[in-house]
Amino acid sequence: MAVERITALMTSQATTANLATDLDQLTQTESELSSGKSINQPSDNPYGASVVLSLNSQLSALSSYAGNISDGTNWLNTASGALSDIQNMVQTVRELTVEGANGTNSATSDQSAAQEVNQLIDQIKQTANTTYNGSYVFSGTATTTAPYQTGANDAYQGNSGTVTREIGPGSNVQINTNIAGILGSGSGSNDGLLLSTLRQISADLSSGTPAAQTALGTSDLSALDANLNSLEATQANVGSITNRLSIASAGIQSTQSADTTELASTQDANMAKLATTYSTESAGYQAALQAGAQIIQESLLNFLSP
Amino acid sequence: MSIPSLTGVLTALSGLEADQAALDTTGNNIDNATTPGYSEEVVNLNSTTPQEIAAQAYDDGDVTTQLGTGVDVASITRQRNQFLDVQYRAQNTVLGYNTQNATSLGDAQTEFGEPSSTALSGQMATFWSDWNTVANNPTSLSAQQTLVDDATTMTKTFNGLYSQLSTLQSQATSEFGALTGSGGQLLEDANQIASLNGSISQAIAAGQSPNELEDARDSALDDLSSLGQISVTNESDGTVTVNFGDASSPLVQGSAVDWPQTITSATGGQLGALLATASPTGQLSQYMSSLNTVASDLASTVNGLSTTTPFFSGNTAASLAVAVAPGSVQTSSTSAPGGNDVAQAIAALQGGTADQAYAALVTQIGSNVQAAQTSQTNSQAVVTAFQNQRESVSGVSIDQEMTNMITFQRGYQASAQALNTMEQVLGTLITEVGGAGM
Repeated sequence: MAVERITALMTSQATTANLATDLDQLTQTESELSSGKSINQPSDNPYGASVVLSLNSQLSALSSYAGNISDGTNWLNTASGALSDIQNMVQTVRELTVEGANGTNSATSDQSAAQEVNQLIDQIKQTANTTYNGSYVFSGTATTTAPYQTGANDAYQGNSGTVTREIGPGSNVQINTNIAGILGSGSGSNDGLLLSTLRQISADLSSGTPAAQTALGTSDLSALDANLNSLEATQANVGSITNRLSIASAGIQSTQSADTTELASTQDANMAKLATTYSTESAGYQAALQAGAQIIQESLLNFLSP
Repeated sequence: MSIPSLTGVLTALSGLEADQAALDTTGNNIDNATTPGYSEEVVNLNSTTPQEIAAQAYDDGDVTTQLGTGVDVASITRQRNQFLDVQYRAQNTVLGYNTQNATSLGDAQTEFGEPSSTALSGQMATFWSDWNTVANNPTSLSAQQTLVDDATTMTKTFNGLYSQLSTLQSQATSEFGALTGSGGQLLEDANQIASLNGSISQAIAAGQSPNELEDARDSALDDLSSLGQISVTNESDGTVTVNFGDASSPLVQGSAVDWPQTITSATGGQLGALLATASPTGQLSQYMSSLNTVASDLASTVNGLSTTTPFFSGNTAASLAVAVAPGSVQTSSTSAPGGNDVAQAIAALQGGTADQAYAALVTQIGSNVQAAQTSQTNSQAVVTAFQNQRESVSGVSIDQEMTNMITFQRGYQASAQALNTMEQVLGTLITEVGGAGM
């Protein structure tokens, strides 16, 4: 703008306006420095603000997934522990069965072996009633109902529902084990599963007849081995799900770290750059103040003799 | 040759008077160098009508010649460029609009308080994460308690935001009322212009040049232009007729003020921005309707999954509320206590339509505020430029005034010297001639 005349008022107005602009910039820099953030309100960077919102939302979802994975892993570990306890007890029963089949035991010790098997059945059912965080882990979704009752009733009390955890967007993992498919519902159901086999072994041990003794060595033992195999297979399955969760957890951690880095680069102030800018602006502002204080006072008046 | 003996004295006197008037004006200019709206005044000098004197007598008649009789103050006028006034006021109206707009939108942005973990976006993230906790612990009463508490906080934030936005609208309406009502800026300016119109036309009719009154009227017009568009017509009697915004009849005509009149946001200026802010089609209304969309998305997606016991009641930002008590939150589509399919599906809504609609709203507000602030800064720069141009024409330059003062002071001294000389000449005449006669 070409201006023909410059008046004192113009100089002072221009100085005031420039000082205000300088101070405005200084305040903005100061607010970024003190908050440590370059985006303090959406208008500072509208697109950046939307990125911050979506990254925050994603980070919150990731931390939910991480929580689900740790919860699911704990659940699986509880189930896995219970399954190995059951496995050990079934091994004990197998030894008793083999001893019974050999016919070297007295009738009395066969009777006490049958007693022991009955106790082990109760213990196995007790172990199947394991809870995690107040929920029965082997009851399907009937988590408030114990899957088995101690005593003569071997019927499965839970349901076939699946308990899942979301470990990623749209990725659900079943964490509960269908125990009814291994233990079954006892002799009455004729399902050939573990409880039914154990009841048969107990009965054969206590009857002591030659036919029963033969059955112990043949059909009972082979049924028990089949049950043990399916127990081991289930164990392996639990282990592989645990592995899958730990792989997912590692993936989530690396995504979290990437998102956090991106969030920081979008939202956080560059302190080194800001500090430099701040000291530059501050020096500029002081210089402007000093210059203004001197320039405005000068006029022809200063040079006229009184 | 005959010249009246006192002519020289009178001529010298007119020079003294003219220089004194010029010095007085210079003094007045210096006094008002920093007075807002003051225009530099200039003394316009004219040489007075010369006197005819017979220079020489010839046979065929007398040849006359003219003798100067001094100087006269023709007028004292103010330095003013009316075209710059028109441009300045037009830009001032734009600045008034942009300033008010940036303030109103900035207030709305402040209400949202984003981006922050404690603002609505953070509360929504907490809400989804609470659903996830419920999905992991479907039978836990404390998980449901936390969910219901956090969800209630979130719905209260929705309600509060909506009512704050609506408060901003009613504040705009009441500010409009304050500016246009009795004692408001608009009426004060209009009344001042009308009364100055009266004084100015009287002064002009009496042959005076009411410079200071015109300056005061221009200042009032400048002030009025920040409220809305004005168009100023100069009348022959020295008054101005002022049309304001899209009002149907002139706001000021002669010494009469016609207000209140109906105006719309097309008026521009601060009043136009206030009307736009309060308008049902304005940006604040858009924000409110977008917030309603977020609330209704949230309610419909969550309730669409929790069909047995809908989680939310209400489907607007103002009415959204949690409809269930802890313990009766629906977590599953079956009656099995460990079922979590519903809770899981709701937790998976995170980042869905409601979150996206809200992020879009925040981005829109941010862009609007940024644009409004940029416009404000730009129009401020333009107004400052015109202010400088006007100041360049009308402002008082101390350097120039000091130079003038020296000039006029020397002129006065010279005129005084001339008077002194005339006095000596006359003295000589009286002493010599008079003495000889006695």
